[in-house]
Amino acid sequence: MARYLLARLGGMLLVMSIVAVFVFVLTRAAPGDPIAVLLGDQATAADIARVQKVYGLDRPLPVQFALWLRELAHGNLGESIFLQRPVTQALWERAEPTTLLSLLAVAIAAGIGVPCGIVSAVYRGAWIDQAFTGFAMLGASVPSFWFGLVLMQIFAVDLGWFPVSGYGEPGASLAARLHTLVLPATVLGVLNSALIIRFTRASMLDVLGEDYVRTARAKGLGEPTIVLKHALRNALVPIVTVIGLTVALMIGGAVVTETVFGLPGVGNLVVSAVTRRDYPVIQGALLVVAAIYVLINFGIDLLYTAVDPRVKV
Amino acid sequence: MTSDLRIDRRTVLSSMLALGAGASVGSAAAQSGGSALNLAMVAEPPTLDIQSTPADLVCIIMQHVYEPLFTFDAKASLVPMLAESMPKISADGKRYGITLRKGVKLHSGRDLNADDVVASLKRWMDVSPRGKSVAAQVTDIAAKDPQNVEISLKNAYAPLLSQLAMASGMAAIMAKETLAQPLREYVGTGPYKFKERKPDQYVLLTRFDGYAARTEAASGYGGKRVAVVDELRFVPVPNANTRVEGALAGQFHYADLLPIEASARLEKAVGKVVPIMTPSFGFPYLVFNTKEGSMAPVAVRRAVQTAIGEGEMLAAGFGDTRFFIAEGNHFPKGTPFYSAAGTAAYNERDPKKAKTQAEQAGYKGEPVRILTSRQYDFHYNMALIMAEQLKRAGFKAELNVVEWATLLQRRADPKLWDIYITHSGLFPEPMLSPPQLGDGAPGWWASPAKQAALAALNQEPDPAKRGPLWAKVQQVVYDEVPYIQVGKFASLSARSPALQGYTPFTYPFFWNTSLKS
Repeated sequence: MARYLLARLGGMLLVMSIVAVFVFVLTRAAPGDPIAVLLGDQATAADIARVQKVYGLDRPLPVQFALWLRELAHGNLGESIFLQRPVTQALWERAEPTTLLSLLAVAIAAGIGVPCGIVSAVYRGAWIDQAFTGFAMLGASVPSFWFGLVLMQIFAVDLGWFPVSGYGEPGASLAARLHTLVLPATVLGVLNSALIIRFTRASMLDVLGEDYVRTARAKGLGEPTIVLKHALRNALVPIVTVIGLTVALMIGGAVVTETVFGLPGVGNLVVSAVTRRDYPVIQGALLVVAAIYVLINFGIDLLYTAVDPRVKV
Repeated sequence: MTSDLRIDRRTVLSSMLALGAGASVGSAAAQSGGSALNLAMVAEPPTLDIQSTPADLVCIIMQHVYEPLFTFDAKASLVPMLAESMPKISADGKRYGITLRKGVKLHSGRDLNADDVVASLKRWMDVSPRGKSVAAQVTDIAAKDPQNVEISLKNAYAPLLSQLAMASGMAAIMAKETLAQPLREYVGTGPYKFKERKPDQYVLLTRFDGYAARTEAASGYGGKRVAVVDELRFVPVPNANTRVEGALAGQFHYADLLPIEASARLEKAVGKVVPIMTPSFGFPYLVFNTKEGSMAPVAVRRAVQTAIGEGEMLAAGFGDTRFFIAEGNHFPKGTPFYSAAGTAAYNERDPKKAKTQAEQAGYKGEPVRILTSRQYDFHYNMALIMAEQLKRAGFKAELNVVEWATLLQRRADPKLWDIYITHSGLFPEPMLSPPQLGDGAPGWWASPAKQAALAALNQEPDPAKRGPLWAKVQQVVYDEVPYIQVGKFASLSARSPALQGYTPFTYPFFWNTSLKS
């Protein structure tokens, strides 16, 4: 176990090092200049050069990379050019909406996806299977911004049940902040449930054809027990994987939904940093998101041992 | 009047003139306490340093915190703000004596003095692109005593007061002890003080109870300012459709810059939202690379001017005819700088004539690289039409569509482009925009005719004589084609019916507004 964990840790460090190099190189290879954006339309080349010096952007790229790595080694992700605060603080401020949004959305996605997938598999070929499969197709095809605007129109504008945008007023309570997440979490949850339906259905179909299911039926066990206790347990590995990856995807990838609903989350931070070329934020945020991704993958692997006793580390 | 979208745009002289003087200051509907305005802005501001950037968004927010020495009233006339009165100008136009208003308090509680003004203006001349152009004219700024400042110039420079009064990239007066680069504290004299910035959530300003208001009636940015509402919350809502929905749902008391396609919905939602149209809000313009490439020869640029049809471009850019005006005069009719000089060359859209002109100018099919971005849809849509118009006239037009940050970087390199598309707000003084009228801006326009015409305009202190002198500059712009003013466009915003006393202006402001209970 200890050897496995050490090997995994080494592998994770290697992955993160590669990510760091890629993030830095790709960020700097992209055209555009944060200082030109910061100073605006009327800045001259001399103005831009002067401010570039303030932020150390005039130095050779290898020097900038070495300085960045040195800061990283001290746990410092640098300071945002635009936000006037450390990148770690900027990320921390956005951690709450993104985490809550992701958890809520995954709960909705799994709450819809797993039961629908099971029903689809059990009633394979019946109208209900076709309805759920159609819903999954629709979920995979509908753009999240459109679905978001439709929900916004109905539930925020017409009915006034939820705010259109934002993460609560200054000093809002946790309940008020959660209230702002209901619509965006529904958008993400419903659309992401499509993938979970398909995975659950496929996985359950594989398992329902196994000999031990037939044996269970022959023993006279009730259908709910067979499906939920015997089949589902064995079908869980791919389902847990897809749910875990959905969480990871949302932490950095709920960009469109966050933008439509004006949520101050990590996705929004990354997008605005990219459009402004806020290098420290892009680099820091991507590194952190990559680290979360790697950790979630690791967590999923460990979870396999709990879900499937045959899997041993 | 600006809340009615069915206004006759021909009757509107300019955004500055059309704004109607005065606001109902501190109306009976004023809030007793705890009132707050939620104001939906187009993005998160890149900085809160109003001196260092001319970005509109920064100006809209921070003009509540900082004030200039002078400002513009509803008729686009210069009026004093922190200055007690208009300055005493020496006969040769080289010395400006400015007396400060007494009793003006900084947000820190201290009285404003001449040292703050001198230090602020010096910083502004150092960090602001507009300030730098003023710095080239200034020999000294000195505090004569705690209430008096004197600015000495190399030569008479008529745009000085307009430069000091301009709201964006403001020559903002700040507490001397807070001046730093980058700015970390925001201590000014405005009716609202800075409280908190939570990036991507809000910038919070609260009422400054020690504010010393002017006594004159409110007019445009000038006159009496009263912070009636307790708190202003500037909320970034980058998605334009979300701003529309938020305005319709009543979540925002004001929503800035909405898509023109939303006007029909806003007009139908009577009682829920009041649409606001600001005519002649700004002008799109095409900048030519006069230094290198296919557009370097003047004669080729003239051929391009003949080839393009600005009317078609505006229609593609803005769609609804209520939201644009195709006119060659750079300033609207009825304003001091209105002139028709050179406008015969506007909107010609004559490919045959252009082809002949290009051939005579020695154009041999070199690529015409049009640099544009989709940051603003109207830039891109206009670029598409222009490229086709140029192709019809035999030009080898190539669209180079990049992201805005890339465009800002690439346009600084004369090897990378021939024409780029941008836009500007329409200001009451020609020297405030576009930057191509100054030195060193992308396009690198420099010619004896430019120098002579601008020197005459800048050195004429009499406002009445500056109008005809601007006409000569406009003529040179049409003759040498360093840039083409495509026309004027209007902006669309919306407010809640509960927001009272709001006066539309280029940069929306919320002092003198109140919330109907």
